[in-house]
Amino acid sequence: MDIQALRLQIEKIDTLPTMPGVLKKLLKVIENPKVSLNEIGSFISSDPVLTSRVLKLVNSPVYGFPGRISSVSQALILLGMNVVRGLLLGVSVFEVMQKSMIGLWEHSIGTAITARIIAQQKGIPEPEEVSVAALLHDIGKVVLSLKFPDEYAGVIADAEKEGIFIFEAEKKHFSVTHAEAGSWIAQRWNFPRSLVEVIEYHHKPNLSKTMLVQSAIVHLSDILVRAKGLGFAGDNFVPALNSGAWQILNISESELSGIVLEMDSALSHADDFLLGEQD
Amino acid sequence: MVSRDVAFTTMTERLFGQKHKIIIFSNLNHALDYIYNSIPDLLIVDFFHENSAAYAVISDLKSDSIFGQVTVIGLFGESQEIPDNGILPIDDYIRSLADEKEVFSRIEICLARADRVVETNPLTRLPGNITILKQIQNRIESGDIFAMSWVDVDYFKPFNDKYGFARGDEVLKMLGRLVLNTVRQKQPVGSFVGHIGGDDFVFIVNHEIMEEVAQELIDNFKNIIPTFYDADDRARGYIESVDREGVHRTFPIMGLSIGITHNSDRCFKHYGEMAEVASEMKKFAKMCGGCCFKTDQRVV
Repeated sequence: MDIQALRLQIEKIDTLPTMPGVLKKLLKVIENPKVSLNEIGSFISSDPVLTSRVLKLVNSPVYGFPGRISSVSQALILLGMNVVRGLLLGVSVFEVMQKSMIGLWEHSIGTAITARIIAQQKGIPEPEEVSVAALLHDIGKVVLSLKFPDEYAGVIADAEKEGIFIFEAEKKHFSVTHAEAGSWIAQRWNFPRSLVEVIEYHHKPNLSKTMLVQSAIVHLSDILVRAKGLGFAGDNFVPALNSGAWQILNISESELSGIVLEMDSALSHADDFLLGEQD
Repeated sequence: MVSRDVAFTTMTERLFGQKHKIIIFSNLNHALDYIYNSIPDLLIVDFFHENSAAYAVISDLKSDSIFGQVTVIGLFGESQEIPDNGILPIDDYIRSLADEKEVFSRIEICLARADRVVETNPLTRLPGNITILKQIQNRIESGDIFAMSWVDVDYFKPFNDKYGFARGDEVLKMLGRLVLNTVRQKQPVGSFVGHIGGDDFVFIVNHEIMEEVAQELIDNFKNIIPTFYDADDRARGYIESVDREGVHRTFPIMGLSIGITHNSDRCFKHYGEMAEVASEMKKFAKMCGGCCFKTDQRVV
């Protein structure tokens, strides 16, 4: 399939399914009539699919300010409780659940938590935006495996058999990687330019035009979370850090160990969000 | 009601005369003067006894910006053809031989809808001036104790001038959603939000929670608004534009000024008085640098 046809296929996707475990928790949250927007917000922020659903709606032309909102809490106050409830009621789950999907969810949440820590450390003005971008950075993997389940299973098998990275295997099968696929859907859904760019460049942050630091933060978080062994992003080994990212961020060794310490404590509190197999 | 069908008019009076004021005219032209002077909630026109000139009258009425909001029910004979809505723009119809229950439900539904479907600002779809006026006047007349806020955007004009009106409209649409949801979240029942026009909005909540709502609104706006600026202006924290005198200067990021008044310590007889005080308080908030609310403390 050529790239243009692939892109058209991907842009046809209207909505993404989430994990069965997320749906169970979600129903508990929205069935509670006393639930506050803040509680719903923190729940939504712990799931890449729910987050993308909310951002897609608030940035749709219906509301009249497309491409402006990149934060879940802002999206919720602009949509309002009734709309959010209705939106969440329509969420579906993956029919065929692969173990690798649960791993991807945990990897995404871990990356979001880590990116927020680094963004705060680096004094980025909108740390939530960076954390949302981190939560969504691998949305292209969800998109590809939803649209092309058999081919994507082949990608995972190839990566394992040949000992190559998942994005290399994607390139062989699709001639693009999940980074492009994710940025296509993010553009299609009118996400703010900043999010689109971080999704597109999270493997090569030095190429980002306006989101250098943010892309580098997500790139570093991605790798730190893999190194921690949290979740599963499709690779059995940890890729090397992009040298450009290191220069952009200019993090000292002591800063880095501070970040890792904070990660440990934040992630140990994040058990609630992680799904595991018991769900 | 315009009809010479005595059976129908008597039935309608019996069904609705207690709750509503019904005035019966024998032909449409006689009714016009009354319609133009008092804007009824509902107009029932018997097209069985009117000739087709009446279609043009209704068509004119419905195309008017003010009178177009009047709900019109057409009354037709049993086998009479209902004209195309382009020729006769009515909202619903009743057949003259319809039974009592049917007539009752149709009229009830139309009245309820007229109440619900208010005139709205095309930009934000929030209720506009006529509805705002009615809301406040009704509350005053029924003796409600309530607080009213007048919301205005600081430095909206320079933003509009610099980025163009489409970008300005984005801000107003966002603000409309923001006011509506902030207010509803704090007070789901009995609150009201309206869009006066431009960057002016009003809302009504209970007096006790008004200042809390106003503060939250100011905070929420402050939080969201930077993303409506271009990245470089956002980073600088101000924009360069021209002021009302045509002089180039810098303007800070937009904020909200809110004027608050309420009728717990003072008595208002008319919408106009209350709106004026709220607007005064808003100007006071602006004089204090904006991005704040000011509550009327006077006891009258």
